[in-house]
Amino acid sequence: MRVAGTWRLLRARAGRRVRSWIHAWRSSLQTRVLTTTTAIGLIMLLLVGTYVGTRMRDSLFEGRLEQVLEESARSTQQAQATFDSSPANTGVEVLGLLTDVAKAQAAGGSGEREVFLLRAPGQSSPLSINSAASDASLVEAVVTPEMQLQTARGGQHWQSVGWPVADGEEPAVIVGQDVTVPVVGTFQLFFLYSLQAEQDRLDFLQRTLALAAVAMVLLLGVMTWVVTRQAVRPVRRAAQVAERLADGHLSERMPVRGQDEMATLARSFNEMAAGLQDQISRMEELSTMQRRFVSDVSHELRTPLTTIRMAGEVIHASRDDFDPAVRRSSELLQTQLDRFEDLLADLLEISRFDAGAAVLDAEGRDVRDVVVAAADHAFPLAERRGTWLRVDLPERKAAADIDPRRVERILRNLLVNAIEHAEGSAVEVTVAADEYAVAVTVRDHGVGMTKVEATHVFDRFWRADPARARTTGGTGLGLAISLEDAHLHGGWLEAWGRPGLGASFRLTLPRRAGIRLTSSPLPLVPADTSTAQVLAPVVRASTDPASLPELADENAHELQHERSGDAAPASDDARQEAR
Amino acid sequence: MMSAMRGRVLVVDDDTALAEMIGIVLRSEGFEPVFCEDGDEALGVFRATQPDLVLLDLMLPGKDGNEVCRQIRGESGVPIVMLTAKSDTVDVVLGLESGADDYISKPFKPKELVARVRARLRRSDEPAPEHLTIGDVSIDVPGHRVERAGRPVSLTPLEFDLLVALARKPWQVFTRETLLEKVWGYRHAADTRLVNVHVQRLRSKIENDPEQPEIVVTVRGVGYKAGVTPT
Repeated sequence: MRVAGTWRLLRARAGRRVRSWIHAWRSSLQTRVLTTTTAIGLIMLLLVGTYVGTRMRDSLFEGRLEQVLEESARSTQQAQATFDSSPANTGVEVLGLLTDVAKAQAAGGSGEREVFLLRAPGQSSPLSINSAASDASLVEAVVTPEMQLQTARGGQHWQSVGWPVADGEEPAVIVGQDVTVPVVGTFQLFFLYSLQAEQDRLDFLQRTLALAAVAMVLLLGVMTWVVTRQAVRPVRRAAQVAERLADGHLSERMPVRGQDEMATLARSFNEMAAGLQDQISRMEELSTMQRRFVSDVSHELRTPLTTIRMAGEVIHASRDDFDPAVRRSSELLQTQLDRFEDLLADLLEISRFDAGAAVLDAEGRDVRDVVVAAADHAFPLAERRGTWLRVDLPERKAAADIDPRRVERILRNLLVNAIEHAEGSAVEVTVAADEYAVAVTVRDHGVGMTKVEATHVFDRFWRADPARARTTGGTGLGLAISLEDAHLHGGWLEAWGRPGLGASFRLTLPRRAGIRLTSSPLPLVPADTSTAQVLAPVVRASTDPASLPELADENAHELQHERSGDAAPASDDARQEAR
Repeated sequence: MMSAMRGRVLVVDDDTALAEMIGIVLRSEGFEPVFCEDGDEALGVFRATQPDLVLLDLMLPGKDGNEVCRQIRGESGVPIVMLTAKSDTVDVVLGLESGADDYISKPFKPKELVARVRARLRRSDEPAPEHLTIGDVSIDVPGHRVERAGRPVSLTPLEFDLLVALARKPWQVFTRETLLEKVWGYRHAADTRLVNVHVQRLRSKIENDPEQPEIVVTVRGVGYKAGVTPT
């Protein structure tokens, strides 16, 4: 159990390590360059090191071998000369001669060497003298039968051997040549040279080389790191600055140092940023000017309009004294002044939204009351149009934090719009609430509209059919203002429609500020349509809940109280509150 | 207290056409209009003519409407109705805070103007002596006098009406809409900011600590009521 647990832990840790490496590899140019450079440098150094090491070893060995062969040839000649001039006749004398020569030769060489005199293979002699050596114990170990056979073929012969010492073996080379000894015949003279000194030198050189290689790799790594840092840092900085710019910090700039390519990059980057900033601020200025112009015009028009309006009223009040043409004119003046005034008010309202000056004056209200008020207002028009107005309210209070003036305005607009297009059919208003939102749908069974039209109904001054005559004389801004009003609440205002099947508008408002809507308590597409499965494109608010106004304390308290009293309706959708 | 004329109205507006038109409408309703075109001269004209009501445009050459409003309010409780082309919250609240009792946003209809003027001039001259108290505030309704802990408090007619409306029914909670109807004479729902601003002004005059009101109490989510002092 425990082992398995530890194993799992280790594996998980290793996995994390690997993942973090992969992440570093992918995300950092510097890591990638550093790793690649170090790896390539390491491989190159290994190859070069191996080549240089081998060359060094070979040259050291060959130099020494040459020296050894030369020396042993000379020594062999010397020994042969000694044998030739020797007067020895008896076995004892010969044995003494051999021993002397061996000892003399052992002392005579450059550096340490051992000398062996062995009877050549296949030679027999009446005297049982087989060998003489400076160190007899080594003979068995270093002089192999093959060596003896090779030597017997004549000339000088050499072989690499191991020289057994107290702690292992030293590298050595053995050189053999035949000599003729008086009385006993052919003997083989072997010289054993130790190569330990050369091995030591080689080891030292190789160690130095390895050390140099490690230093080189480290140097390479550091160099790469420094160089990439120099190159990558401005790039990183540029990326950061670009990100800040994208976030709207338009005055962000890159520091420019020196005259190099990086400085050029920084300068061009800054020029681009300055250009962008200029462009954006110019456009902002233009847009502000335009908005202010609309607002100013609307305000400036109000004073003369007031005068005209009052004059019109005064004339209208005494219209009975006029002849019919003037009377009709005064009536037209009156109605068109109303329309002009509505248009001006809507224009001003839109300009207020555009300027971001619209303020939500939210309070805890029962949406049912607002719906009833709006329906009361629309009732006279419905009556004139012969439209049946049905309002379906839930039994439970549909409390929400709303700006009643704005919500009533939305509902009035929707109702007037529906009644206008109902063509005498019924208009149904439905209210529903769940834990998070309150929804109102306004449905008519009139001419309806196409999908494309449904996407445009909230456009300013948009008309489904430009050729169609204006009847009730709406301003053309009503639904646009309604959409803005809904957005101001953090709510949705959506439209659905099909030709011949009527239209449906749905207003969904969050019950409290900060609730991000994810669904509505009511369906947008009415259940009584056969094409219900085809969803119309809907226009949906993209309001950031953070920008929504805070609640007034009084209302929050009231709402909380109500909520705790309510049996919370089960919510089928996953919804989250933004706070 | 009223002459043949139903009241003298000072119209402070730099737009002569509008001022003249307002004059025509007011005269036809039996009011006596007096005109002033410049903010700097407004106070002088006010002192000279002693009007019963002031119609004040907020955008004026010379001193602006808010400043004129403050000056007039400094020496008189006469009703002031602002004429404003801007119905934005900030402008309206600023005007109300400088002492205006009510406002009409342009463009308005003659009926609307006359209704507002009448509502502000409608003095309830009830002969019956009526004396009301809320806590340590005592109100002499016919005498238009208010005392707090024995010391007289000076209220504008509007603030007085607001206080009396609350004091007459101390058991009732008034919504802002009800108060708008009772005190300002609005029949339809209007701007509830009017109520908020004037309750604040009233509190600053009659409360010991306007942050902890005891006379005009807020009922959360509903409106206001007269504070009932325990015992």
